[in-house]
Amino acid sequence: MLSFYEVIDRAVTGQLMSDQDFYLKHYVPKLQKVIQKYKIKYNPDTPLPSDDALADTVFDAAVEFFSEAGAYCPDTSRVLRFSKEEILQAAREAPPEATFGEGPDRMVMKSRKPDDHSEPWYHLGGGIYTTSEEIFMSVIEGLANIRKANSLSIPTSIRIKGKDARVRSPQEVLATIKSVTMAREACRRAGRPGLPILNGISTATGPISMFAASHPQFGLRPSDGFLVDSLAEMVVDFEALDKVAFYTSIGANIGSTSTPLYGGYNGGSEGNLIATVVYNLLGILVFRGTYHYNAPLHTKLRVSSTRPLLWIIAVANQALHRNAPYPTVNLPYLGGGPGTDCYYYEMAAYHACVVTSGGNILSGHPSVAVEPDTLIPLDHVLNVEAAEAASALTRKEANPVVLKFLEKYESQLKDPPKGYTYQQCYDVESGALINKEYVKNADRIRAALKECGLPVEKSA
Amino acid sequence: MHEEEILEKLKDSILQFDEEGASELSKEAVAAGIDPLKAVDDGLVKGLDIIGEKYENDEIFLPELMMAANTFQTAMQVLEPKIMEMGKERTKKGIVVFGTVKGDIHKIGKDIVTLLLKTSGFEVNDLGEDVDLFTFIETAKKVNADAIGLSALLTSTLSGQKDVIDTLTQDGIREKFIVMVGGGATTPEWAETIGADLYAENAQVAVRKLTQMLKNRRKK
Repeated sequence: MLSFYEVIDRAVTGQLMSDQDFYLKHYVPKLQKVIQKYKIKYNPDTPLPSDDALADTVFDAAVEFFSEAGAYCPDTSRVLRFSKEEILQAAREAPPEATFGEGPDRMVMKSRKPDDHSEPWYHLGGGIYTTSEEIFMSVIEGLANIRKANSLSIPTSIRIKGKDARVRSPQEVLATIKSVTMAREACRRAGRPGLPILNGISTATGPISMFAASHPQFGLRPSDGFLVDSLAEMVVDFEALDKVAFYTSIGANIGSTSTPLYGGYNGGSEGNLIATVVYNLLGILVFRGTYHYNAPLHTKLRVSSTRPLLWIIAVANQALHRNAPYPTVNLPYLGGGPGTDCYYYEMAAYHACVVTSGGNILSGHPSVAVEPDTLIPLDHVLNVEAAEAASALTRKEANPVVLKFLEKYESQLKDPPKGYTYQQCYDVESGALINKEYVKNADRIRAALKECGLPVEKSA
Repeated sequence: MHEEEILEKLKDSILQFDEEGASELSKEAVAAGIDPLKAVDDGLVKGLDIIGEKYENDEIFLPELMMAANTFQTAMQVLEPKIMEMGKERTKKGIVVFGTVKGDIHKIGKDIVTLLLKTSGFEVNDLGEDVDLFTFIETAKKVNADAIGLSALLTSTLSGQKDVIDTLTQDGIREKFIVMVGGGATTPEWAETIGADLYAENAQVAVRKLTQMLKNRRKK
């Protein structure tokens, strides 16, 4: 694969272009061209296709588009370009697995295959939730106590000394160090000190806080995962490359991350499908990742669970795992709040699409209005159960199940229901689940998911 | 071509993102003696209205919005000087200064709102991303803005929205501008806490609410 030195050299020697020209004269027309050339067409009747030829065509289209469009570096106003051969070589040499964690919790995340009945990697939690200091450790301990959890995404805690830390401030450095230290301690309390944290440092917004909190004294290790993201669309800035330079130098797992925006420069379903695949290739080649976070998002609804986005995440995973075996973790942003039927049906539909298509899961994030303190461990148990159940199905078997789930929630996405907070469900001091109504509802939803055809079994 | 035909074709040029056609048709409208204001309002703007509807229904997306806005601008390069020659001015819905607050480099959400504002008849001063609070305020004063739009995606950059409002208050000019906030991290509760006039969960809501609020203000 092309060396990292060569990659960063292209960020300073590539073609000069304004960002407006990059998108309007370069990126958008080339994307339209490949969609037409490869005749890629969204089909709303089959949100979860099982068409291998479609998956392979999408992969070819993505390689061609990436080789023609490249990525944009706003720090130098240059376009990083890579040839088809360089991209295909990276795809061939993509790391098919990544090893995370320590001791009994040291495990291997793999690139699975479509219709592969192996269990996916269960990555639980979420970095977008801001969480109060008083419940921060209880929430993480609750997640670490989920037996099947393979890794955690820790929430954000920007409070420091009773005030919110501002972006890139010294307070942010201190809040970041605090959140990492507390997360590791919470894992230890759950008896799983080696459980890997894959979202690195959610409280950090820039490299300074991230590097500071990566000091081994605070509990993170190279066997955790450190996220490096490109801004939508295909923006590779120096901050991202700084992180790659640092984390490759300490031999850490890098999680390349992308949020293609439905309704943005990629347009609709077909453009976002290609972009989702391209971001993974960018992750391998530019961000030197050992795993990738996929998080395509609807710009207006702020969710990933619409019918077109299910199609995108399903086909993108199929295209990747058939052609570039790079482990993916797939992040569902959901409309429904925690503990609502809308949330459960959305996450089940999303996981069914991901798991049968070869991907690994990250548990669902309620995202329409990101309420503080809404990371509720029992919801994440249900995410595991739904994903495990999906691994028993093929794509063909799962598609009608997904259609049934869509019937249940699709109409609610414009005005989704709000849900519970942690404090409404758990005793803050003991961490015990105390809300009987919430627990009863979880049992009812398990039965409802099963009735729709997802063979969910209660695990906790 | 008859007047009606030219106006119809001007509308179509917007729908087809045909910059060259829009420019030629604008020249033709002027040559045919059509009131340039009519060419704008009954031709180009009708096209923009349809573009707005199509965007709302997920039939078109950001690239098409940008292309429609560029087509409109190209036509206006012909029509605007003629309107000025007549001593007239095109009615704007309002003047807005818009940007992503200090420390936040997210771009697309802000781009979508500014384009929808433009295509629905607002004059927009897009300040870009990571914008210093004084740049918002000085620009708003300079262009005599009706509204300041502050976008923030990250929880830790929300304070940038509050800083602008606090400074406007401190300088005694808070009432002069409508302040609207939006972006991934904002909520209605946050907007109320910091004293913003308007919270919008997405671009269409921003356009709708701002249009209504300005109408109400002008009635007073």
